[in-house]
Amino acid sequence: MDVSAFLVTQSLNALSQAALLFFLGCGLTLIFGIMRIVNFAHGAFFMLGAYVGWSAVGLTGSFWAALLFAPILVGGFGAAFEMGLLRRLYGRDGHAFLMVTFGLTLIMGEAIRLIWGVNALQVEIPKLLSGIVFILDEPFPIYRLFLAGAGIVVAIGIWQFLERTRLGLLIRATSQNAEMVHALGTDVRLVRSAVFGIGCGLAGIGGVLAAPMVTASLGMAPNAVIDTFVIVIIGGMGSFLGSMIGAVLVAFVQVFGSYFFPDFAMSFMYLIMATILVFRPGGLLGKEA
Amino acid sequence: MTGLNRRTLLSAAAAAPVVLRHARGETPIKIGMPLALTGPSGEIGQQMRHGAEFWLKEVNAAGGLLGRQVALQIEDTTGDPATCVRKAQEVVERDGCKLLFGMVLSSEALAVVPKLAEWNAIFMSSDNGDGRLTGSSFVPNFFRANISGPMETRVISLWLREGQMKKFFALGMDYAWGHNSIGVFKDEVTKAGKTFLGDVYSPIGTKDFSTYITKIRQSGADGCFLVLQGDDNAAFLSQAHEYRLSDRVQLITSIVDLNSIHAVGDAAIGLAGSTRYVATIDNPANKAFVADWQKQFNALPDVFEGEQYQACKMLQAGIEAAKSIDAEKLRPALEVATIDSIKGKIAMRACDHQAVQGGYIVKVKKQDGAKYPVPEIIATFPGDKVTPACRQMTFES
Repeated sequence: MDVSAFLVTQSLNALSQAALLFFLGCGLTLIFGIMRIVNFAHGAFFMLGAYVGWSAVGLTGSFWAALLFAPILVGGFGAAFEMGLLRRLYGRDGHAFLMVTFGLTLIMGEAIRLIWGVNALQVEIPKLLSGIVFILDEPFPIYRLFLAGAGIVVAIGIWQFLERTRLGLLIRATSQNAEMVHALGTDVRLVRSAVFGIGCGLAGIGGVLAAPMVTASLGMAPNAVIDTFVIVIIGGMGSFLGSMIGAVLVAFVQVFGSYFFPDFAMSFMYLIMATILVFRPGGLLGKEA
Repeated sequence: MTGLNRRTLLSAAAAAPVVLRHARGETPIKIGMPLALTGPSGEIGQQMRHGAEFWLKEVNAAGGLLGRQVALQIEDTTGDPATCVRKAQEVVERDGCKLLFGMVLSSEALAVVPKLAEWNAIFMSSDNGDGRLTGSSFVPNFFRANISGPMETRVISLWLREGQMKKFFALGMDYAWGHNSIGVFKDEVTKAGKTFLGDVYSPIGTKDFSTYITKIRQSGADGCFLVLQGDDNAAFLSQAHEYRLSDRVQLITSIVDLNSIHAVGDAAIGLAGSTRYVATIDNPANKAFVADWQKQFNALPDVFEGEQYQACKMLQAGIEAAKSIDAEKLRPALEVATIDSIKGKIAMRACDHQAVQGGYIVKVKKQDGAKYPVPEIIATFPGDKVTPACRQMTFES
């Protein structure tokens, strides 16, 4: 295999991984930016997305229907959780949120075990995307190209949503000064529920998209939540652009690190995070130290 | 005085059924089964429970053992050796079990076997792979009805010697099991006069295997030996399928089971490896077993369900020959026990309590009409070639 083919295919692969990480990271950072809540259950919502996606594919026979249905259900569940439980805790300090969202992770994990069982569940790649293309004579799965594309489309979509729509404006305003937005006659509580729901829904999309590659399994949540926190810490808590940069950085480091230095594959990600924290304690684009 | 008489009469009357029940032998024979039902090994534990309960129903419907019904005392160990020892002690001392099944992990079994003499209990293993249990850690009250880990590796190496593949690469999970298994594999490959090109280890919980797949392809190997399990195994097979890896390289694994095939579906097609048990074994005992199993569960029995059933039949043969469940009488009977098992004729060996049995190589193939691909037997090796010398873990040639 020549060097250019290797570099191109592995870079494309890293971009596809970055897309998955971005779905997780941008939801988490959005929630933190608006609500100052560290959502420990984010990995569990990702996992729920994969399982709901599996069931939706089984019921409708269509991966695309699952891609539409799962985020709505996962996002709806997230919003309901915010309204039912988190809302009662806003007067308390941050520890309360950590405890409650961590508790939710455990409950969701057990509930998924009871509903879907202990075995990993395979979601088939839709026919349209199941082939391989040859890039400089190297085989590359079409599905991974699709993932990278989906990541870019969703990133642009969220950016436009935050910049151009009224809800986007309210979300940005709430993150700057919630009390003022409230005083101007907007129900900040609804904005918060919507943001929590959207963040969880994004994790749900990530779950459905990851399922054909890693299967829906009970180990998804803890794995995902660690990577997501690293991304958000690198990018800066609450920064949308930061989560994008963090996802790309982590994905490239993981892919090339595991190829050239397989024995240290895991440590590179943390090394980068530690280095960034030394020079920029708030993360690359974070405001607070 | 009449009062006293009446009381004596009453208590005698109350005691009578108990005495009669004892006389008719109606207290059940209790078998303790501490095993991992939850945790990472929970799936295997559930299969073992399934297999034992299937046998229990069958044996009780036929009148039980020695005229007594049989009962299982099942406890969850979560796969932790310390918990396993405690649970085993509980079923022996609290519930009075003198017979044991279960213990999913070899580490659990190794922790329990030193206690067997003190408890005066017999443990019939159905899945423990560690060679030491019938080697350096051998105790007289331990019996292994299943094929052991070294025997499994032996089956693969015998198959490789006969086969066309010349160059091998290996991918394992980055902890003791992965490194050990690949070490043994490398040794066997080299002894068979073939080339071992190299190995790579993925951290536990790896999600993206694309760089490992690239490495396997770049190595130019004919076959790649995999030591992966659980989520990692499912993720690797899915992505190998995504990259069409098995078009170029024969993927070989140490255990092919229905569970992982069901987890990844068509991505498992082409996978080859040894298996401890497979429903397609061709003999009358297995055909009857599979037919009954399908009638009850509408599914094929999986690896550890079959292995557990075989272990139950082995214990049953010993008890029927000894006409007792007392360890002192049961041990000599088990040492010479031979059964027509679902894996053919299986004989327990007195010298190390390992059941001598053959091994199978299967390849996963697509079958028309079936929901999942199925493992088909492509090679069989007889027990005398597969079983090591007494209390040994390695093979001469």
